[in-house]
Amino acid sequence: MQILMQLIVSGISVGMIYGVIAFGYQLSFATSKTLNFGQGEALMLGALVGLTTVNFLIGNALGNFWAYVLMLPVVLAFGALQGSVVEWLGVRPAMRAKSEAGWIMATIALGIIFKNLAENIWGRDALKFPSPLPEASLSFGGIRIQPMEIVVVIGAIVLMVAVELFNRYSIYGKAVVATSNDRDAAGLMGINTNRIITFSYALSSMSAAFAGVLVAPVTLTGASMGAVLGLKAFAVAIIGGLSSGLGVVIGGLILGITETLTGYYISTGYKDVPGLLLLLIVLSLKPSGLFGKAAIKKV
Amino acid sequence: MKMKFAWLITASMMTAPVLAADSIKIGVSGPFTGGSASMGVSMRDGVKLAASEINAAGGVMGRQIELVERDDEAKNELGVQIAQELINKENVVATVGYINTGVALASQRFYQEAEIPVFNNVATGSIVTKQFAGADFKANYIFRNAANDTIQSAMIAEEAVKRQGFKKPAILADASNYGQLGKTDLTNALQKMNITPVATEKFNVGDTDMTAQLLRAKEAGADVILTYAIGPELAQIANGMAKLGWKVPMIGSWTLSMASFIDTAGPNGDGAMMPQTFIQQPTTPKRKTFIEAYQKAYNVDRMPSPVSAAQGYDSIYLLAVAITQAKSTEGRAIREALENLNTKVEGVVTTYDHPFSAADHEAISDNIPVFGLVKGGRVGPAHPEDIEGDKALRIKPKA
Repeated sequence: MQILMQLIVSGISVGMIYGVIAFGYQLSFATSKTLNFGQGEALMLGALVGLTTVNFLIGNALGNFWAYVLMLPVVLAFGALQGSVVEWLGVRPAMRAKSEAGWIMATIALGIIFKNLAENIWGRDALKFPSPLPEASLSFGGIRIQPMEIVVVIGAIVLMVAVELFNRYSIYGKAVVATSNDRDAAGLMGINTNRIITFSYALSSMSAAFAGVLVAPVTLTGASMGAVLGLKAFAVAIIGGLSSGLGVVIGGLILGITETLTGYYISTGYKDVPGLLLLLIVLSLKPSGLFGKAAIKKV
Repeated sequence: MKMKFAWLITASMMTAPVLAADSIKIGVSGPFTGGSASMGVSMRDGVKLAASEINAAGGVMGRQIELVERDDEAKNELGVQIAQELINKENVVATVGYINTGVALASQRFYQEAEIPVFNNVATGSIVTKQFAGADFKANYIFRNAANDTIQSAMIAEEAVKRQGFKKPAILADASNYGQLGKTDLTNALQKMNITPVATEKFNVGDTDMTAQLLRAKEAGADVILTYAIGPELAQIANGMAKLGWKVPMIGSWTLSMASFIDTAGPNGDGAMMPQTFIQQPTTPKRKTFIEAYQKAYNVDRMPSPVSAAQGYDSIYLLAVAITQAKSTEGRAIREALENLNTKVEGVVTTYDHPFSAADHEAISDNIPVFGLVKGGRVGPAHPEDIEGDKALRIKPKA
């Protein structure tokens, strides 16, 4: 029982990270029906910018904890900027040209460029991210958790709730929701849908950058850290449903927990298999995802 | 950035005077960027140190050694391109290097065909020197002065089972060729002692959560963890154990001495043990001079990978002696000289006395490496008595 709980706890902290990245996919998909295939790279850039900022602040005699806290706004701002650049360079031209697949290639290409850029600036080695909290794990009735893992879960929830509240209660958020529901109608109501789409990309990369600095202290930081996470999060987005914020969170948890459970109860060699099987099953039975609304495409 | 600049200056100072028309070109191929860079860069620095010493003393046959360094980024396809460039464009007389077994296996085919010797000074895959051995080939142009995985896995099993008395080892290996071939070697070595590992677990390069693997090993009652993987994931194992509040010794291949393991695992990595052909301690006069020269030339205290640096250094001296003996820079003559080396070469790792023969291209025998132990961010000897007094210099037994 204790082992099962330990596995579930580890699965949740991994799954929440998948969830936050997938949440980013969902944000831009809702407004523009496009998404950023370079989401993993957005996460990586966020983590590396965070690392440089944290090291700079620690170098200026700040403790690990306060350096981390002060770094957050910098990384969030950087993420927003990076997302706007992706939208502006990769997505807008494709949408203007009414290209069905142009944005796919463009966002993948931008992802590759960002990765090469990061390799040139930060090198190719995996770097250690100073942990803002003690690294010794806490024990709850024999189940051991690192303080940073708790921060990951709480941080992920806070981010998603904040975005949800913003969408529900602020006038700008309502414009986002309106654009998600019907872009043409929203445009006719005087909403600048182009700006809303840029904004949703900014928000999307911001959440990825945030996920990057959340996960970095638990793992390592480096130019290649985004590739696997971005791909896993994509699977999560499909399992949970690209049109549902709650769906991607639950999808993340399902994938994270299945991975650790399979690793322990079946074999560590087959850790990734059930998640992919689940992906195939969901795709064949409910293509819009477990929580997604089936969209009718009018031609 | 400043560091890099300093490197460039040192590099240009060292290569500048060696542009004479009749210099002897030796290729250096290894990963100088990326995950195995600490090994590649240390190897290259050891090689450069040896070459500059030889050049300062008048060179080989009165000619200067000119190194042609290429970064293979641990990528097989890049290694192949570099091999072709070094052979056809640069006309090297031999190439030293290779950190990664895969790159070595992919690239050395071209040297074998061109009859140019390859001196592996770091890559450990058992098959590396055997790729062109046997009756099918007229001659084998692949040599090595690193402890291969057969030697290392036998040492790991011996240390864990015989010397420390562990009965229930768990093997944790990554899913790469290196990890999986090492896992097989380890299982076989344990088999010979009638020990079956209680758990054999796998993980991907880049995995960050080792909870499932460690819990399986723990529940199987493992009393020691044997590893075959590289730095970052090894650090995740050590950190994962600390997280689970479970501490058993870690014994594994020499990659446990990688800076990326030691630095990332921090205190959690203390106590990890691995076979080492060289430990950064002045146990012989030759080692003392080498360490001091290295520290002075590259302005570092801790060598990033002492084993790679020492083996890189020795490989150039062996090659230089062979060229002198052959009185020729022709590949076939150098190979024959290496196989019948008449001069004793006093190296950092060992004293090489007839290190190779036509059938045996491995300079390092199983009595040469000792166990290193991670403590306070450095690798020291695990059993100081192993390298005390006249045991400090361990020499390959005569065939």
